[in-house]
Amino acid sequence: MSPAGCSHVNGYKVENWKQNLRVIYQCFVWSGTAETRRRKAKSCICHMCGAHLNRLHSCLYCVFFGCFTKKHIHEHAKSKRHNLAIDLLYGGIYCFVCQDYIYDKDMEQIAKEEQRKAWKFAVPNLLTYTTWEPTKRELELLRHNPKRRKITTNCTIGLRGLINLGNTCFMNCIVQALTHTPLLRDFFLSDRHKCEMQSNSCLVCEMSQLFQEFYSGHRSPHIPFRLLHLVWTHARHLAGYEQQDAHEFLIAALDVLHRHWDDNGKKANNPNHCNCIIDQIFTGGLQSDVTCQVCHGVSTTIDPFWDISLDLPGSSTPFWPLSPGGDGSTVNGESHMTGPTTLTDCLRRFTRPEHLGSSAKIKCGGCHSYQESTKQLTMKKLPIVACFHLKRFEHSAKLRRKITTYVSFPLELDMTPFMASSKESRMNGQYQQTVDILNNDNKYSLFAVVNHQGTLESGHYTSFIRQHKDQWFKCDDAIITKASIKDVLDSEGYLLFYHKQFLEYE
Amino acid sequence: MSKDSQMRAAINQKLIEMGERERLKELLRAKLVECGWKDQLKAHCKDVIIEKGLEHVTVEDLVTEVTPKGRALVPDSVKKELLQRIRAFLA
Repeated sequence: MSPAGCSHVNGYKVENWKQNLRVIYQCFVWSGTAETRRRKAKSCICHMCGAHLNRLHSCLYCVFFGCFTKKHIHEHAKSKRHNLAIDLLYGGIYCFVCQDYIYDKDMEQIAKEEQRKAWKFAVPNLLTYTTWEPTKRELELLRHNPKRRKITTNCTIGLRGLINLGNTCFMNCIVQALTHTPLLRDFFLSDRHKCEMQSNSCLVCEMSQLFQEFYSGHRSPHIPFRLLHLVWTHARHLAGYEQQDAHEFLIAALDVLHRHWDDNGKKANNPNHCNCIIDQIFTGGLQSDVTCQVCHGVSTTIDPFWDISLDLPGSSTPFWPLSPGGDGSTVNGESHMTGPTTLTDCLRRFTRPEHLGSSAKIKCGGCHSYQESTKQLTMKKLPIVACFHLKRFEHSAKLRRKITTYVSFPLELDMTPFMASSKESRMNGQYQQTVDILNNDNKYSLFAVVNHQGTLESGHYTSFIRQHKDQWFKCDDAIITKASIKDVLDSEGYLLFYHKQFLEYE
Repeated sequence: MSKDSQMRAAINQKLIEMGERERLKELLRAKLVECGWKDQLKAHCKDVIIEKGLEHVTVEDLVTEVTPKGRALVPDSVKKELLQRIRAFLA
């Protein structure tokens, strides 16, 4: 197999060969339109035995289809001296003299173009990406910069401790979670932020710098003083040396990053249609349906969210309140709970229909009067990274305390039951059994967990983050240690970060 | 052609005409990547190439060596799913 192609194609490259080759690709290899498909279905059978399987090939010199496996095309090639054939399944060109598939640059180019053309007609949701091949300029760059970093399964690149600058563990654990969010990491490491801010106080630039530090290969702990300073400048409510809430920091950080993304004022005109990386990764849509109990009219609103805050059993609001309008799948009364509460239980509670009671009547557009109603939350659009916040800190009028109830959370999570679309199919009588096999869109994998140890007054934050698919590490400020999956799943859990398993191109 | 292969040909024709064959191929492709089959076979291909030598190995060598293993390694669940899908289509 020579990478330079074989010389025997030269006999073929005469007259109108390019057009002829294109026609063959369009009609018999990658049939895009219904017409070509019909023609392909009828005519693509072996001229010797009539079979349609057996790796059918077409002669390039004449109209002949033959099986490869049964050597029918080989016989044809020998007797007619037609040395080239094309594989109708994959489009590869076979040379009978070289006795192997050959890769001619011109022919490959035509093949690629025809394939892309055909795919446009096919099922529109198919992945239409092709493998990356470097351009001349890129090859040049790669040759001039020969230093390479090889990522093996046990290399620790990306792991770095963070010095605690005085109760800053709440910031440190969020930084660990963000620097290990795969899409965010890829974005920053491929240098995608072009800063348009004049001053030195762009938080996005600082994040970029942070990623450079984390992936530099240095193993000594990093001192995030610049980050801390920028946070104090842009989120005043988090300034000071007292212990802050990690969840508040996460939201504040995402907010500042989102605001700094495009400070030219473009955002001010259209804050809801931002296309910054923060929105692309973290923003989901929460659907709220309010159903009037009298006319059953539904009023729907969709709000963006960056995280889902879940109530826990043991708080002053009952976990499973008796809800007269609820669907049969909820459990009424806490005594029915067996086993530890799971994340799914919390999500089920979050998305259950809630009767709003006579003291909270809503003005119904259908009845034109105040009526009792039920409200239900479901997920309209899921973000690529879903962050779940377990509400462990209770700040009610009567008391301030930490709820330490253990909530078990899974490594893999399927959000399908909590989607607005699932609720609709349930209401229409269709059940989840006939799930679209191609819909892997709602499956998530855990990649970071932030934990709080201690009490409301004095506590400490640590985090677990995932590397290399199944290796976990505990990050306790400057100290990074290897952790087992059991350590992670047994931990109390305060902030849970999940990442979509399958990503699709827009 | 036997009745069996006649039926096969007819089914194949219908699948191609309706574009279902392409959809099934994509579904199968996704499933095989998901269950790790693609990675397993890729590793096997690399072994064969190293064994035969990069300069001398042909596509035929790879096909002969890798096909039986590839067929055997397809998980039953994937086979079942595809069959279900085809049955649903033909119904």
